[in-house]
Amino acid sequence: MGAVYLPSQYGLLLLPLANVQVKAGDSLRITCRYSHLGKAESQTLYAAIGNSGWAGFDEVLHASKTINVPEDASWNYREDYVDISITTALSAGFYDLYAKIGSTIPKVISPTLLDVVEMLAATPDSQFGEISITGYAKV
Amino acid sequence: MAQYADIIEIAAPAEALQGSRVDITVRIKNTYSSAIGILAAGALEYGVSPWPGIIFPEPSANVNGGVTYSFAGYFTMPDKKVTIHAYSYYYGADGSWHFDDEMAKAVNLVSVPESQFGSIEITSYQRR
Repeated sequence: MGAVYLPSQYGLLLLPLANVQVKAGDSLRITCRYSHLGKAESQTLYAAIGNSGWAGFDEVLHASKTINVPEDASWNYREDYVDISITTALSAGFYDLYAKIGSTIPKVISPTLLDVVEMLAATPDSQFGEISITGYAKV
Repeated sequence: MAQYADIIEIAAPAEALQGSRVDITVRIKNTYSSAIGILAAGALEYGVSPWPGIIFPEPSANVNGGVTYSFAGYFTMPDKKVTIHAYSYYYGADGSWHFDDEMAKAVNLVSVPESQFGSIEITSYQRR
């Protein structure tokens, strides 16, 4: 079960989240909601899968795309998504997610969702273990 | 000084966004002793010629003596500061509208701020 820490009047609140199971070859669509004010602008929407730790976010897989944000005379919420291709770079286990707008210097960064992506163990190649005769009859 | 149709006020926002509808009200007082027909008109000064007009859906009214009447109008904000010119006319005994008074008021252009992002959150993550 994944989780996200949210600020509240009582301090940080741990909000449990459902996780999603993936395997190599899948694609993970990460949908984001962001607020914008001002002139129209083209920016990079970026999302990453990895591990959040004391030293920051250790990215394993990521993807980005250009979003064209129209002019907003007042604060406005908009939504867009980015698809991350799942590869064997992820080993089996649980991973975290975050998203941001901007490139080298992000304009805004999302809260990290903890343990929301579960990479399933790779299905082994076909192999046979044993065989036995279970019946013999005249046909 | 107006003879009969005295413009008391132009009520309009101090600033507006380019392309937005700007609603205004022109308040005109009938200073005559009895009811007369009063007409409101207006034009926008911002560097184009001829000055574009202001739309008054109901530009004229019979106004009782001493009464102030509000005429509602609107226009689309251009790409620069604009000066509203409001005009009043009264309906004369000769069957014609006579120009009477004028008032002006400026509406500044609101500039759209530079692009900025306030927050971002992941709302869903789905395998595809």
